[in-house]
Amino acid sequence: MWINMGPQHPMTHGLWNLRIKVDGETIVDAEPEVGYLHRGIEKLCENRTYTQIIPLADRLCYASSLTWSHLYCLTVEDLMGLEVPERAEYIRVAAIEMQRIASHLMWLAAYAADLGTLVGFIYAMRDREVFIDLLQALSGSRLTYNFPRIGGVAHDVPPNFERDSLRACTYMEKKLDEYERLFEGSKVFMMRNEGVGILKKELAMNLGVTGPPLRASGVKYDLRKDQPYSVYPELDFQPISLPDGDCYARYKVRMDEMRESCKIIRQAVQKMPKGKWRIVAPRNGPVGTGIGRVEDPRGEGMMYIVGNGTPKPYRLKIRSPIFVTVSAAKQMLVGYKVADVVAIMGGLDMCIGETDR
Amino acid sequence: MKSGEGKPSVGQVMVFRSKDFLKWADGVTEGILKKSPIGGGIDLLTRDFFNWATRNSIYPLHFGIMCCALEMAVASASRFDAQRFGVIYRSTPRQCDVLLVNGPITKKFQPDIRRLYDQMPSPKWVIAMGECAISGGPFYDSYSVVPGVDQFIPVDIYIPGCPARPEALLDGFIKLQRLIKENKRGLLTGK
Amino acid sequence: MSEERVIRALLDAFPTAVTDYKKLKAGVIRARIERRELYRCCQFLRERLGFEHVSMISAVEYDDRFEIVYHITCYGSCLLLELITQTPKDDPSVDSVSSIWGGANWQERESYDLMGIKFNNHPKLERILLPSDYLYHPLRKDFKG
Repeated sequence: MWINMGPQHPMTHGLWNLRIKVDGETIVDAEPEVGYLHRGIEKLCENRTYTQIIPLADRLCYASSLTWSHLYCLTVEDLMGLEVPERAEYIRVAAIEMQRIASHLMWLAAYAADLGTLVGFIYAMRDREVFIDLLQALSGSRLTYNFPRIGGVAHDVPPNFERDSLRACTYMEKKLDEYERLFEGSKVFMMRNEGVGILKKELAMNLGVTGPPLRASGVKYDLRKDQPYSVYPELDFQPISLPDGDCYARYKVRMDEMRESCKIIRQAVQKMPKGKWRIVAPRNGPVGTGIGRVEDPRGEGMMYIVGNGTPKPYRLKIRSPIFVTVSAAKQMLVGYKVADVVAIMGGLDMCIGETDR
Repeated sequence: MKSGEGKPSVGQVMVFRSKDFLKWADGVTEGILKKSPIGGGIDLLTRDFFNWATRNSIYPLHFGIMCCALEMAVASASRFDAQRFGVIYRSTPRQCDVLLVNGPITKKFQPDIRRLYDQMPSPKWVIAMGECAISGGPFYDSYSVVPGVDQFIPVDIYIPGCPARPEALLDGFIKLQRLIKENKRGLLTGK
Repeated sequence: MSEERVIRALLDAFPTAVTDYKKLKAGVIRARIERRELYRCCQFLRERLGFEHVSMISAVEYDDRFEIVYHITCYGSCLLLELITQTPKDDPSVDSVSSIWGGANWQERESYDLMGIKFNNHPKLERILLPSDYLYHPLRKDFKG
């Protein structure tokens, strides 16, 4: 018997449909259905100039929107062959890591609320406000920032940015210890997560799973370390990887990634050199192609752009990490119970904006 | 005595089939409550009370589409607390008063959202939150986005912003409360 | 495994089918391959050279041809290979690589849905993002929304 979970479902966090075939309580088959939020962004980009696409790229994955507009600017800078000033790179890295912490806290809030610990939702949302306030002081907006520009960033950091960021990092590291005590001390949380939704290493690599689910299955591959971009080669941090492949490993990878992000923010704001924060980019894109690849909080984000000498791009192709990870849902769900769907699909941190584009 | 055969005389028992009993009971209550002055009197006494209860317990549907849904989630967290206005999110449309549309509606999803609206019991209201729900937003010229949710659903409150701030959403709820207060209707007679 | 070794291995295995190869920057290689050898080349990449993950499959429409661009990653050596194949305008079809890499399954369905490229031997070539009764392929240049 096929059951529809969605498109309107309190667990699914977004507009997608999960069809599962059950035999009693055990799942026998699963088929995700996406496309309810398809806005045709790739076609819209062919009708906008290079700078006008930056706010559209923000709205791809709205929970981590700085990553996508940064990825788009990296791709266009690869196409045009531009060299971004160093101060701009450091500002970008500090902002992206703050966005990464805010995105992981949003995931934690939704995950905790689904698994029954509503106190996790309230605490995580409260701590996310600290980083959203920092990003609002930097760029002027709470959610879709429109902050990176082709050739740098929109404007310089506000006064006292370094002091406020260091304070936020110290606060966050204390709070992460508190979260670990809260969640790992809860027997129900551990029972719902340990041993559930196991994805083996070879299967994860073959099915195209990237990001924290891949690192939780034993593959230590982080684009920031292995194919670095921006100023990541000069910063000191470690990619996190665990061998088990279950929901608890995916949760632990994200919590430890938040710690590493605090370390990166500290280094970035303290090492920031003086100088220009933006160079002027040419209006017409050259004829040619460009690639950009970043480590999104959800996986490997990639863009491929084709320019044809006009102010508008000829073709922009966007690779969404969740689009491919969700296609591996069947292997992760078969054999478990219906009540485990929440933990398994919640652990993937789905954001439908980037899936459907 | 068979059903529908004139009035019973003293000492006889009325026998009905169940459907006819329901019709008879409906007719009696409608006569007493809705058409006679008793209904109007009850309404006059209780209209303000029921209206106060309705506008202070608005239950929206737990339904998130795009970026404004994150701001809706933040509005129900501890910094911008929405529960102090009586707003509690419910998971099923059968228990809700308000449909909060917070993102662009694609042509693939349009029949489903119409179905959600039809499943809600009246009295019901619709709030269009964010530019995408008002007019299509940044995707107004896309081939698969409906330019505005008011093309197929009647909207009561529009909240502008891209994304709309949580304070704007709370202001929208207060405006909805004012709207409900201005259109007081008695529950029985509907006046 | 360096970029030059990958290019050398590809040229040795497919001497006539691989053209226009070059190293774009550190860790990124580009090569063009003919459509008829695509499936065997992808098998060779995965089994002999250890490219475990297909990152992105894009389809681009030019005036006289379609180009299908595969970006394939090797986790072990941290390399990215951009493999481009082209099809004539009136016959946009290539072999599916979803039996080699499972991650290519949905990406090929998306290219079929939006651009109309047919992938031979795909297990389930149906529309994925648009409604199943939609008639057009929107990303084609002759579709004006």
